[in-house]
Amino acid sequence: MSTNTATKTRRRKLGRPSPIANTIALVFCILWAFPIYWMVKTAFTKRSDALNATPQFFPTDPTLDNFHTALFQAGFFENLRSSVIVVAGAVAFAIVAGLFASAALSRFRFSGRRTILVIILLIQMIPGGATLIPQYFVFNATGLLGTYFGLILAYVSATLPFSIWMMRSFFLALPRELEEAAQLDGASTWQVLTKILFPLVLPGVLATSVFTFMNAWNDYLIAYTFMKDQSMYTLPVWLASFSSPITGTDVSGQMAASVLFSLPVVVLFTILQRKLVTGMTGGAVKG
Amino acid sequence: MTQKTPKSARAFADRRLPALLLMTPGGILLTAVTLVPLAVMIWMAFTDYNRRSLFTGAYDMVGFDNFIGILTNEEFWWSFIRTILFTAALVIGSLLIGVAISHLMTRLGSKMRILVTIVLVFTWAMPNVAASLVWNWLFQPGYGVFNWILTQLRVFGDMTNTDWGSNTGLAFTSIWLLVVWQAVPFLAMTIYAAETQVSPEYKEAARIDGASERRIYFNVTLPFLQPTILLVTILSVIWDFNVFNQIWLVSHGGPDGTTATLGVFTYITAFVSFDLGTGAALALITALLLAGLTSVYIRHLIRSGEDDL
Repeated sequence: MSTNTATKTRRRKLGRPSPIANTIALVFCILWAFPIYWMVKTAFTKRSDALNATPQFFPTDPTLDNFHTALFQAGFFENLRSSVIVVAGAVAFAIVAGLFASAALSRFRFSGRRTILVIILLIQMIPGGATLIPQYFVFNATGLLGTYFGLILAYVSATLPFSIWMMRSFFLALPRELEEAAQLDGASTWQVLTKILFPLVLPGVLATSVFTFMNAWNDYLIAYTFMKDQSMYTLPVWLASFSSPITGTDVSGQMAASVLFSLPVVVLFTILQRKLVTGMTGGAVKG
Repeated sequence: MTQKTPKSARAFADRRLPALLLMTPGGILLTAVTLVPLAVMIWMAFTDYNRRSLFTGAYDMVGFDNFIGILTNEEFWWSFIRTILFTAALVIGSLLIGVAISHLMTRLGSKMRILVTIVLVFTWAMPNVAASLVWNWLFQPGYGVFNWILTQLRVFGDMTNTDWGSNTGLAFTSIWLLVVWQAVPFLAMTIYAAETQVSPEYKEAARIDGASERRIYFNVTLPFLQPTILLVTILSVIWDFNVFNQIWLVSHGGPDGTTATLGVFTYITAFVSFDLGTGAALALITALLLAGLTSVYIRHLIRSGEDDL
């Protein structure tokens, strides 16, 4: 990842490695990774073995049956479909509207700009649970309650302010000379935006998309409250109510379902982790 | 930025129509899905809007009745105290561990550091619904592995069949562990990122002067980290104050509502009892409380929103 010299300077900046520190770190890793290990381990353990008075710390007889159970559990594919629809919708709305707005709020000067920025920051402070009640009322009154479009709008409401803020920090990092040079070459405003600025903030757009994706994919509360039709529930609601109709909660199946549900988020997050951290703190620490 | 801008660039930045067009989609969405609902919330707080109203549309304006009802309700005050204490416990716990892990990471060999980073990233990425289900399984009476381990320790007696959800203290303990487990990665990695920026010259100078590693940390590193720690503390206050899913999925606010924080209490009022008017009033009170708690941060945000292009 990093070159040799980079590692060396980094090493010099930090303290000297110590065996005690390494030992403490190992203990920390075991403690912190244990719940995840236990989820994955249970997912590969036979149901009868999972419910054992003495837990097996290593799977002796791994099985894929639980994943089969999870995938063919009533509602999985229906609710996966709901999740895909609302997540795609939320990301599309938040990114397009957010990209345009953040361009306006970073590359242009107009009266009211500061007011808009302050409003966006204040909106971000409002707890998500607070907007739930009036949104329920508004969606009920407009017939959007229990529809995918209503749910998408609720997610846009939750993510748009932060998306604007995050992408704006990427726009602000670009030198102002870009527009000057392009204008001298006779480019129109639209061309400056689409040919120069938008491509340059693409990493920011990606990081923001992951943020929006995770927010909508992981949401439980809004979907659980707004959706009435079981077939239109999203995966988190399905996951939370996952149980076998005959014998109650099937722990192994539930852990397999949790693994399947978490996998896309963990993969995306791991790939874009560094950019996400920079974007989040960059937006917040700035100023 | 106060650097001089050439005329042509100024012309670009001052073009009104493109700026207006670019602002339009976001502006419409923000107004429709956030600003209008917020105005509606304030209005709802003064009505007796309830389940019946959802179907018939009938409701009455009740003035400050909802607020009086809330402030004279013992349940509200208990959940208020609970929220403050639980938030404090969460913020302090996750911050101490986060700062410690961040410093620990600076003292590791590169392989160990990568391992810690991987563990942190994976924990961070875990969706909290999945994490809450894992928690229920770890603490499940009869078969939960934590119950088993605690029993083997022989300190707390036989905990095999302990039902963590049926006891207020135990329920809070397991939720605390869950939230802290998920909160530490962001804190540790943000603080670590700042800690790698501490100029080595300062530390070197202190070392030459004979300062111990501990003194270097407290007198050189920590003051440097202060702005970052302040920021993540405020963010933690906001996030921990609003913890909902973990409580809802682990204890459902029970037993007997004794683990209901303000968020859970509001949710139950609005969507279980369907007293939306009182729920809106509660949400308003909560938002104002949070704004009060984080007013320093809000002032800082407003100032940073005011800096120029």
